[in-house]
Amino acid sequence: MGMKQTLEVISAMEAAGVIGRYAISGAVAAFNYVEAAVTQDLDILISFNEALTQGSSGLLSLSPIYSYLKSKGYEEHRKEGIVIGGWPVQFLPVADALDTEALFQAQEIEVKFGVVEGTVKTRVLRPEHLVAIALKVGRPKDLIRVTQFVEEGVVDMAVLCDVLDRHNLSTTWRQYCARVGIEDPCS
Amino acid sequence: MSKSKPEAYPDVSDILARKKANRRDLARLSFGEKIALVEALRERLAPLKRAREAKRVAKLRQD
Repeated sequence: MGMKQTLEVISAMEAAGVIGRYAISGAVAAFNYVEAAVTQDLDILISFNEALTQGSSGLLSLSPIYSYLKSKGYEEHRKEGIVIGGWPVQFLPVADALDTEALFQAQEIEVKFGVVEGTVKTRVLRPEHLVAIALKVGRPKDLIRVTQFVEEGVVDMAVLCDVLDRHNLSTTWRQYCARVGIEDPCS
Repeated sequence: MSKSKPEAYPDVSDILARKKANRRDLARLSFGEKIALVEALRERLAPLKRAREAKRVAKLRQD
């Protein structure tokens, strides 16, 4: 039991059409680029697909996801997530153009879990999108993550500035730079 | 009135440098290694989390 099982279940859901394209977001995605920090859940960004859009209203429902997982024996809910492989997983449908772009530009990676466990293919958001999303959400812990990415030099500043500009986050970024006392690399 | 001596603080720059190097090493681990590390940490922190939760519930009952 562990993240390998979690990712295998989520990949199987994508293959079965229960969810559309998916990618790891949030704190776990950040592990791919910066120092890991303890986190309690796994955020999975998902695209809309027909299975999730119910009725003529077109309202989004996550119940097909929960029904599928229940049929596979995953019923425990912890915090706002459903527990798969010991990790509470939060399925987050894309909520705006930034999420959509981040999901479709997510990079494919192969995670090595060890000699015995083997590897799993998955997707994680790119660092520039993780920074932009963290900035948009704007909680103290998100801003700490932005600082980590900037300090460790894992973002392509030209790409980040373009993302921020296209998604109307330039002002928020300038305010962040002023607050932490760094020169705005986008100006 | 006697002048007090300025406080002599130890030089901790080497400690800070080691911590920085350690953080850099942790950042260089593979994604899979970082996940394993966090899973191990979660296990170690679980009793503390349970105790915190029990304390929170007890406080709620008291109020």
